[in-house]
Amino acid sequence: MAHLAHYREAHPLPMVATHWVNLIAMIVLIVSGLQIHYPLIPGVMGIARGLHMFFAFVLVINCIVRIVFAFVFKSAPAGGTRRLVRDYKTWLPQKDNKHQLWAWISYYLFLRREHPIAAKLGVPQKIVYLLIAPLIFFTAYTGFCLWGPTMNWPVFTWGLELVGGPMNMRVIHYLCMWVFIIFMCIHIYLSLVEGASPATLIFFWKETPGLVYDPDTMNITGFDGMGKEPDYGETFKDPVRAAADAAAVAAREKHGKE
Amino acid sequence: MALLDTSGRRASVSSASAQPETRATSKLAQKLELNGFTRRDFLKYCGCLAGMMGLSQLAAPQVAEALEIGAEGGKLLPVIWLEGSSCTGCTEALTQGTTPDIPQLVLETIALNYSETLSAAAGHSLEEARRETIEAGSYLVVYEGAVVTAYDGNILRVADEKGTDVLLETVKNAEAVIALGSCACDGGWMAVRPDDADAMGVQKFLSEHNVDVPVVNIPCCPANPEWLTSVILEYVLTGHLPELNDKNEPAALFSQTIHDNCPRRGHFENGEFVYQFGSEEEAKGYCLYPLGCKGPQTYAPCAVTRWNRSLSWCVEAGAPCAGCATINPMNPQANWVDENTPFLERHRDFAVGPITFQPTTVAVGLTVLVVAVLGVHCAGMKLAGRMDGGADFEPERRWDEKHGGPEAHEAGARAQRLYDDLDEMGLEPKNTGLHRKRDAAARKAAAKEAPQAADSNNDTHAEGGDE
Ligand code: HEM
Ligand code: HEM
Ligand code: SF4
Ligand code: SF4
Repeated sequence: MAHLAHYREAHPLPMVATHWVNLIAMIVLIVSGLQIHYPLIPGVMGIARGLHMFFAFVLVINCIVRIVFAFVFKSAPAGGTRRLVRDYKTWLPQKDNKHQLWAWISYYLFLRREHPIAAKLGVPQKIVYLLIAPLIFFTAYTGFCLWGPTMNWPVFTWGLELVGGPMNMRVIHYLCMWVFIIFMCIHIYLSLVEGASPATLIFFWKETPGLVYDPDTMNITGFDGMGKEPDYGETFKDPVRAAADAAAVAAREKHGKE
Repeated sequence: MALLDTSGRRASVSSASAQPETRATSKLAQKLELNGFTRRDFLKYCGCLAGMMGLSQLAAPQVAEALEIGAEGGKLLPVIWLEGSSCTGCTEALTQGTTPDIPQLVLETIALNYSETLSAAAGHSLEEARRETIEAGSYLVVYEGAVVTAYDGNILRVADEKGTDVLLETVKNAEAVIALGSCACDGGWMAVRPDDADAMGVQKFLSEHNVDVPVVNIPCCPANPEWLTSVILEYVLTGHLPELNDKNEPAALFSQTIHDNCPRRGHFENGEFVYQFGSEEEAKGYCLYPLGCKGPQTYAPCAVTRWNRSLSWCVEAGAPCAGCATINPMNPQANWVDENTPFLERHRDFAVGPITFQPTTVAVGLTVLVVAVLGVHCAGMKLAGRMDGGADFEPERRWDEKHGGPEAHEAGARAQRLYDDLDEMGLEPKNTGLHRKRDAAARKAAAKEAPQAADSNNDTHAEGGDE
């Protein structure tokens, strides 16, 4: 048994949108970038470069928007709760995660059997996601160093000078892509390996039943069946919602028996 | 027009128009005629020169006049041409085989009076000529080849003197040094890994020896003689060096890439590429990008000035640009060869110790490794039964078990009771499976086999969910 309830509050709609944009931009940038690196499909070089620059701007703007959203919107500080805090707080160190870095690592290395308790983002996850934003800006910087209209700007000639010229800059830009590819492999693997619930939430905003987490006691207190399974223990639902879910479960049970 | 307004020390154009008869009989005109060039050829060259100096092509007649007046006055600007650690390729490029070229004739007439390679004189008398020129002052130095500093400079000895000493002595009274060719700019070929000769460019060497003579870098391997003559003649005519960029290259010449001006650029934009030498695409003159053309990264006007009397140049002749104009004057390790080899690959090689590798090899290798590790990890997750929902939660954080307060223990105990209850009721909070149809079928089968389990589930809703 495991897994917290996946509530929409973990990823409010604006963040679902930025994740979509990020995903699409990233895929277009990688495909068009590979084409620019070596034009395997001859005729589409112009299209590839056009798309690459367009989605470069999309990616950067989306990243800035996501950062602004962190200060504008609220989200849940942990999985399994509908409690809300300002989203940026979920990116800072949280009490729920204290002393849990090694717990996570040893869990993933099969050195321990039990799933660590954590806030919405586990410690390694949080660190890596936080690094994505600087990596996007860095890649964009190296990209603009290679782009005709901007490569002679002093900010970019400074960088070109620093790395020893446009050849090295191209290689750095290219290697940044591989860092993204490696991140994506790990990220997609980890978000899917324990089931599709995290993905259906971030992509389709679809909730799934699971354990309920109480941010006050920083531990798990109940089970929310969301009308699909019976609730149990402390679920912090408002009475109307709880009654509706209980009725739904009763109806399913009856239907199932016939 | 800047050229006309300058009250240059060397040649004043206004006086040129005062005595037009000099034109017909000028030494330069005679010399050109002797070598089979017409005045039209000369004017055409002067037009190019005007272009390179940032003037309108229409200034060609004025440039021609100024050159002729200058030539009439004798050797106006002494130029000392020194050989460093070089292949003399840049000299070769200037003299271009059998017949002298207009730039060479102009340069010889107006300026060049000392060259280690070209001088008829040799040995002691030649060294004497050099010393006299230095004593007299007001000259330019053209330095060809790398400055090699290994063995305290003894690795290159000229006339029983260290090459480095010759350079330092010669630049003493010079008005400027022109570092000719990529070797002179930053070491070039000479500085290629492992750089046993400790090669470097003139600019770095002089700045390390606190000599502050202005240095003009003219890169390429070899340097195009037209760029050299344009720089010298601009100095002769206007009395100042061309505007330099942050690599001390003439800014007017080296601010655009090969790719910017390439005649194959249309094919690049259309996505028409040569993937193999000897292919149909090559015959069609398509873009050489997949064959490692370094044009997009290389700042040089080869496509504009072209080479060998504007006959052709690398890319036009079918060779991908090798990026020989890449220089990093203060960093010989970033010479054009190490930066651009292998010439036929899109990206350069990198080296760790004696091992060289392509960025792609490392990147793909690392990615494959990560994917393999994830594959193994995935098998582990399957074996550990964590695939549909992960492992069970720890009731209390391990750290809290040892160091936590009573509230943490209390919450932990509560969670433990909850897990026990849920287990008893057979309530398994699972993630949505990745294989929904398969899972649904499995659930149906399970429900048929154990109808009693469904009964026990029924009991729970009375308690659950009301808080
Ligand atoms: C975020 C802003 C980005 C900008 C401004 C940018 C810009 C550029 C530019 C100007 C080029 C050179 C195109 C040319 O020579 O015509 C390029 C190449 C490339 N880009 Fe980007 N890019 C960005 C992001 C990315 C990202 C996120 C990836 C991959 C994840 C990527 C992958 C590549 C690749 C693989 C190349 C080919 C490099 C080569 O082999 O020379 N780019 N990019
Ligand atoms: C099929 C591809 C992808 C899947 C299945 C996926 C899944 C997820 C999931 C489930 C989360 C929520 C994690 C959690 O809080 O538990 C998430 C968040 C995140 N993902 Fe992805 N993702 C994908 C592609 C990408 C790509 C391509 C990137 C960027 C390179 C990316 C960057 C991020 C970031 C930065 C977050 C945290 C962002 C936030 O809260 O706004 N994801 N992803
Ligand atoms: S041949 Fe080289 S310089 Fe010319 S368009 Fe192609 S890539 Fe650019
Ligand atoms: S085209 Fe490239 S390789 Fe050829 S001379 Fe110019 S910079 Fe050098």
